[in-house]
Amino acid sequence: MKKPKDLNLETLSLHAGNKPDSDFGSRATPIYQTSSFVFPDSETAAGIFNNERAGHTYSRITNPTNAVLEERISSLEGGIGAISTASGQAALFLAITTILGKGSHIVASKSLYGGSHNLLEYTLPRFGITSSFVDFRKPKNIKSAIQKNTGLIFGETLGNPGLDVMNIEMVSNIAHQNKLPLLVDSTFTTPYLMKPFDYGADLIFHSATKFLSGHGVVIGGLLVDSGNFEWSSNKKFKTLNEPYNGFHNMKFVEEFGPAAFINRARKEGARDFGACMSPHTAFLILQGLETLSLRMEKHISNTREIVSFLNEHKDVKSVSYPELEDHPDNKLAQEILPRGCGAVFTFEIEGGLESGKKFIESLNIFSHLANVGDAKSLVIHPASTTHHRMDTLALKNAGISESTVRLSIGIEDINDLKEDLDEALKQANR
Amino acid sequence: MYYHPVQQKINNSEPIIFIHGTGMDHTVWTLPVRYFSRKKTNVLAIDLPGHGQNKDKPLDSISKISTYIYNFLDKYKIQRCSLVGHSMGSLIALEMASSRPERIKAISMIGTAFPMQVNEALLESAKSNPQIAINILTFMGYSFSSRLGGNKTPGMWMTESTKRLMQKSKKGIIYKDLKACSEFTDGLDKAKKVEAKVQLILGSNDFLTPRIKAQDLIDNFNQPLVEEIYGSGHSLMMEEPNKVLDYLIKLFKN
Ligand SMILES: Cc1ncc(COP(=O)(O)O)c(C=O)c1O
Repeated sequence: MKKPKDLNLETLSLHAGNKPDSDFGSRATPIYQTSSFVFPDSETAAGIFNNERAGHTYSRITNPTNAVLEERISSLEGGIGAISTASGQAALFLAITTILGKGSHIVASKSLYGGSHNLLEYTLPRFGITSSFVDFRKPKNIKSAIQKNTGLIFGETLGNPGLDVMNIEMVSNIAHQNKLPLLVDSTFTTPYLMKPFDYGADLIFHSATKFLSGHGVVIGGLLVDSGNFEWSSNKKFKTLNEPYNGFHNMKFVEEFGPAAFINRARKEGARDFGACMSPHTAFLILQGLETLSLRMEKHISNTREIVSFLNEHKDVKSVSYPELEDHPDNKLAQEILPRGCGAVFTFEIEGGLESGKKFIESLNIFSHLANVGDAKSLVIHPASTTHHRMDTLALKNAGISESTVRLSIGIEDINDLKEDLDEALKQANR
Repeated sequence: MYYHPVQQKINNSEPIIFIHGTGMDHTVWTLPVRYFSRKKTNVLAIDLPGHGQNKDKPLDSISKISTYIYNFLDKYKIQRCSLVGHSMGSLIALEMASSRPERIKAISMIGTAFPMQVNEALLESAKSNPQIAINILTFMGYSFSSRLGGNKTPGMWMTESTKRLMQKSKKGIIYKDLKACSEFTDGLDKAKKVEAKVQLILGSNDFLTPRIKAQDLIDNFNQPLVEEIYGSGHSLMMEEPNKVLDYLIKLFKN
């Protein structure tokens, strides 16, 4: 008997979710730039609203172009379904608020993207959701941070910006022993480098603004459900286990089984919070995804060359990249990130803050801006920008100093990039 | 053990009972169940023993499962009912309608064939390495086109959803289910005994229970309604939820 062969990532990133459209045969995914969808009759309308028929009603909740993107990211991650959101931040917010509310608690990694840290540390407490930030390299710390009201464990595949590699298997085991789901921000790795569900993560979100798009022209987020977590095993998850007044007393675990979470997120969060993605944005992210593997290959090969170039450069104090032997997660990275550890990393420049500034201003090809994962190479000084609210101790905890420079390596010609860096380093220490 | 969205009273009623297929559970019926309950028709989507939330001991033959469901009906004083079954569930519907014809008003057999022989290699892997069997069943369970998605239900990736349901089923269940399908005999004689109104909903691109293998059944039923969904594979409720619902509405109109 012939063994079934599932399609590979390279193929899925071009095809998953999309069929030639039935009206005109358009090969590309059409942009359904519409707020709403005409119902053929009142009975069908009632049926779609009552979740007895499949279909679209209003683009805040679902849209056919977005649906293609949602299926595509699900297929790439090995998930059962996804929701596209206005931004990565909105995806994180949707994940949290679908299961947690007033009185809940999150155990999060201490090395998070600044925006995620803002949301958890400063904003969510106003709504009664608190967080503890711990070193995810230390299982004991994670375990002891779990409280009675903890409802979620959250970290990044590659912690921003120090590139802590999350031991997803270890963290998810702790989460599952406590009947808690693990949410992973997979923005820096993308499914090309690693699939967190294979290691036990339950939910994934992406800032699709970054590598998934590659072109840097849109803001977008994606929340993906593995369908693995047993929500019924923990009565704490009331939004999924108890009848929901907001949708005919629907009990999500009973009506949707493994798909309880993603259905609640759409029926409540997408509907009520309204942080939806525009269909045009979904289209542009799909365009990006088509070349994900080509771009990631080049991102990684360029990054590897630049890491070793900087590592040997006399004006560079140190480089932090998990493929380097002196990185604390070097062994783990070899195991779970054999294709590469992303294209974003930091280095310490000789001469501190002033040379850092001068270096950034002397670069010509690298753009000084607050983003990562563009096909174009980018640079930023975290202490004065993305992480500017943090005090010295918090910065140190996140692996940042005043001389830290963050690079996001693009897919330009490698020699042009090296020359640009070399010249700017010279200027910086003049 | 069973599920109906609005707490209807099923005692002494004539409900439509939905019976899932191999390794599945009641959640495959959420959409039609919601429709019929909105229309105030009594509906019940059951979890077979060992499936979903049903903790009873798994059964390994179609006749044992049929007896199990009849016992359940007796307990709730349900004299007559209609049955909608998918794949293995369709054989259960056939068995129930032929063994006690007076108790069944109508049956809908979705994604069905007789015989429902299961390849030896598949049975063997279901026993020794269920994940391989799950992969094969999912792969064969969808049309080529549906394997690439294009779900009518927005944002849901069909093949992985099906895998997840099967992965969550109790250990040994998939083997028992497949064995039950494979060992189901006398289907054509049983078809002749059915007095209920019969409908078959078939996918033209079904690789698990190919359309052509339903023909003998069709020929042995008394004037069945045959509905063919062009392009659909075996997972008809996932691939064509709206068409399946429309056909069920047609069957249960009066
Ligand atoms: C790792 C990571 N997660 C989340 C986000 C937030 O995504 P967005 O800017 O799309 O809201 C970012 C943005 O920089 C990020 O780098």
